[in-house]
Amino acid sequence: MTRFLVGRTSGMLGVLFVVCLFTFVVFFVLSPDPAVQVCGKNCTPERIDQIRLNLGLDRPFLEQFTTFLTGLFVGRTYGVGEGAVQCAAPCLGYSFQTSQPVTEMLMQRLPVSATLAIGAAVLWLLAGLIAGVLSAVHEGRFLDRFLAGLTLGGMSIPNYVLALVLQFVLVVVLGWLPFPQALPIGEDPVQWFLNFLMPWVVLAVGAAATYTRLTRANVIDTLQQNYVRTARAKGLRQDLVWRRHALRPALTPIATMFGMDFANLLGGALITETVFGLNGIGKLAADSITKNDQPVIMGVTLLAAFFVIVGNMVIDLLYSVIDPRVRISA
Amino acid sequence: MPETARSTAPNSEEGNLLEVRDLTVSFPTAEGRTEVVKSLDLDVPRGGAVGIVGESGSGKSMTSLAIMDLLPKGGQRSGSLRFDGTELSELGNAAMRRMRGDRIAMIFQDPLSSLNPYYTVGLQIEEAYRSHRRGVSRKEARKVAIEAMDRVRISDAARRVDHYPHQFSGGMRQRVMIAMALSMEPELLIADEPTTALDVTVQAQILDLMSELREETGVGLIMITHDLAVVSEVTEHIVVMREGCVMEKGTAEQIFSDPQHEYTQLLLDAVPRIDDEIGALRTLDAEGAQP
Amino acid sequence: MAALPTSLEAEGRSEDSAALGPDGPRPHRVRRFLAALRRDVPTVLSAAYIVLVILMAIFAPLIVKLSGWGPYEFDQSAIDPSLGGLPLGTGGGISGEHWFGVEPGNGRDIFARIVYGARISMTIALSATLLTSALGVVFGLLSGYFGGMVDAIISRLMEFLMAFPALIFMIAVLSALPAENRQVLLVLVISIFGWPYLARIVRAQTLSLKEHEFVESARASGATGLQIVFREILPNLAPTIIVMTTLAIPGYVGTEAGLSFLGVGVVPPTPSWGQMIANSVTWYAVDPVYFLIPSAFLFLLVFSFTVLGDRVKVLSESGGIRS
Repeated sequence: MTRFLVGRTSGMLGVLFVVCLFTFVVFFVLSPDPAVQVCGKNCTPERIDQIRLNLGLDRPFLEQFTTFLTGLFVGRTYGVGEGAVQCAAPCLGYSFQTSQPVTEMLMQRLPVSATLAIGAAVLWLLAGLIAGVLSAVHEGRFLDRFLAGLTLGGMSIPNYVLALVLQFVLVVVLGWLPFPQALPIGEDPVQWFLNFLMPWVVLAVGAAATYTRLTRANVIDTLQQNYVRTARAKGLRQDLVWRRHALRPALTPIATMFGMDFANLLGGALITETVFGLNGIGKLAADSITKNDQPVIMGVTLLAAFFVIVGNMVIDLLYSVIDPRVRISA
Repeated sequence: MPETARSTAPNSEEGNLLEVRDLTVSFPTAEGRTEVVKSLDLDVPRGGAVGIVGESGSGKSMTSLAIMDLLPKGGQRSGSLRFDGTELSELGNAAMRRMRGDRIAMIFQDPLSSLNPYYTVGLQIEEAYRSHRRGVSRKEARKVAIEAMDRVRISDAARRVDHYPHQFSGGMRQRVMIAMALSMEPELLIADEPTTALDVTVQAQILDLMSELREETGVGLIMITHDLAVVSEVTEHIVVMREGCVMEKGTAEQIFSDPQHEYTQLLLDAVPRIDDEIGALRTLDAEGAQP
Repeated sequence: MAALPTSLEAEGRSEDSAALGPDGPRPHRVRRFLAALRRDVPTVLSAAYIVLVILMAIFAPLIVKLSGWGPYEFDQSAIDPSLGGLPLGTGGGISGEHWFGVEPGNGRDIFARIVYGARISMTIALSATLLTSALGVVFGLLSGYFGGMVDAIISRLMEFLMAFPALIFMIAVLSALPAENRQVLLVLVISIFGWPYLARIVRAQTLSLKEHEFVESARASGATGLQIVFREILPNLAPTIIVMTTLAIPGYVGTEAGLSFLGVGVVPPTPSWGQMIANSVTWYAVDPVYFLIPSAFLFLLVFSFTVLGDRVKVLSESGGIRS
């Protein structure tokens, strides 16, 4: 187990390193000169030089990159002398626009995105598993066909279109729901729930559709397994055959997919947050993109990559716990 | 329910444990329903053993699944299945469920895929026992499981009971299946190609074990196989099937010494020879794969 | 947007066992499969819509001549400056002159922009599909057939790309790179992150196919590795590749529209459906038609490709016989 952990962790660090290098190259080598952007409109060549010096942009690429990595792990100092600024680890630099530390900006926005992501994940998992099992039970009959059509539609509708349609119908026309706002849960849980309901649904629909199909296929496949026949031959009650011998093997692989998709939610959250104006990390990314605020974009990218990689690792570990075949041989 | 009342002692009256009359099994295909078992008659004497022999597609496995009411989707059966005085075809789902495992048990060809990889073998033996014996504690069920594993000569059963199927070798897995089937002390055991997936030396061990257990427990046996040699070791009666029909039936002695049907002669001539070759290869493979 | 990383893989998994395999008279099966597709109502309907959009894309200049307004022409007479540029008349300014109405604010003809937007959608989605499939097939084949170092390097690369938060990174890269050749960049970026999903499945099937006798016999007759890969193995992967590719197209249509919606796709004034939807957001409460028309065209296109992919998969698995 220890060896497994060490192996996975070093693999994860390796991927993270490559992600860092890759993003760094894209943002600081291919993109237009950051110093010009920081400097803004009324800019003098002297000021640009000063900014270059402060940001370390005058250094060779490799040195810039190592400084960046050092900043991530132990923090770094910007500038020299009196004007020097200490940036604590994990240092992702400062926003070109607001001069706020990127790490701080990300942390401020994290709760909203986490609320959105967790709620959506609960929703899609519940909806996907229930609809998938129902489909499998009714294989080939009306409910199965109906759900099949619905899932194809759910997979196809772009989430911003769905978001706008829902908002128009439920908020503007019917007035059943409020315009979503990022409220904290503490003050008024009901209001909080109503506020997040639409964003949750929008973020969850595509994944729920995919999980319905996946669950259906897995359950139908598992029901044809020999061990299900054995369970019937033993005279087990129908519900025990289903619960123990069909559902668990059918749903276990879905757990692994879930981790990966959950970690990848930030991409979908970006659109959902933008459309609903929720001040999460996705909105931050979208805003930074329009303002060309490279340190922030890069921070979001690295954070997202971090989630995906850690998510995969957690799932690997979890899988080794829930699947005895992996557990024993690992 | 009277039909599930368990007769603890064998009926004193002379008669068969299982009497199958005019059993027909059919499946839907593009060209209408196809009969895979045609009007089959079969008798299993109390404590006796019958072998059903035929090549794949002869309908022998469907016969056994029809007796258990476990036909795959779309399968339909007709005819009479009389088990210890009870007409199985008239039983409701719940009554048939109570019959399965408890009084008629079954083991299958591929013991690895027949065991659920997610649960210990102990749990898989216990759950059958507990679902038929209401109010049995986990502890008691576990004891039964260990005893059953002991009985099929799995050494160190008290420890092995907590292992998962993939931790057992092929032969051991089939022993686990047999232990599971016999833990309920059924009156009839249906074994569908129980040794086909195993290599030759292990095949012999399993067949020996089954013969011994028959003597110990007096369980009736239906052995389904494509291999006349296997049947001859375990059963007294043999039914030869082809394309859903019975070609020939008789005692093992009759069949071997004086086959009436051309097809039986063919099986007698051909099968063992081919099987020896396959068997030899399989042994080599198995030794390479399982050190 | 079908940006779920596992969705394609999930669809592909059962494909492993469903490959039509090297046996069986091929032309016969293909014919039966095509016949089954032609008889399948959802297939026919979705194919019809896709063909319609393709025709629209191809003949865009001609169609626009017929309808009278080009995609870049401003019609100030169709909007009401005193209402902030809202289209005159009902339904977003739908009239004999402007079949789908006009854009609020500048009076551009929505019909013309939809027709030209189809060009962008189709070109980008189909080019990305071609490039992704080519990359996926070639890398999958090489990785599966040659194994060893080749396999190790390609497999690591695939793992790396799949661990990436693709959508965020696409947005970030596109926003960082200059705006020239945006369409080429879009195709490149989508493909770079898309090919590993196909490659993984191709690799797995190549691994099992290379043990087959027909590969052995080709090897014995002195064929080189590359010859075997492309002449013997590739044809046998055709069914899988077709299914996986059809399943992937809707994702690319959606991704292009999504990136354009977020403002990192095609550069205005070039019309794109995603960008039109983005522009309509500020107006949709007062001019819902402007929002509904591009949304409906986009949804139907993604939906048609999704249904088509699904039917192709189902029918190819059942060997062309309706179940």
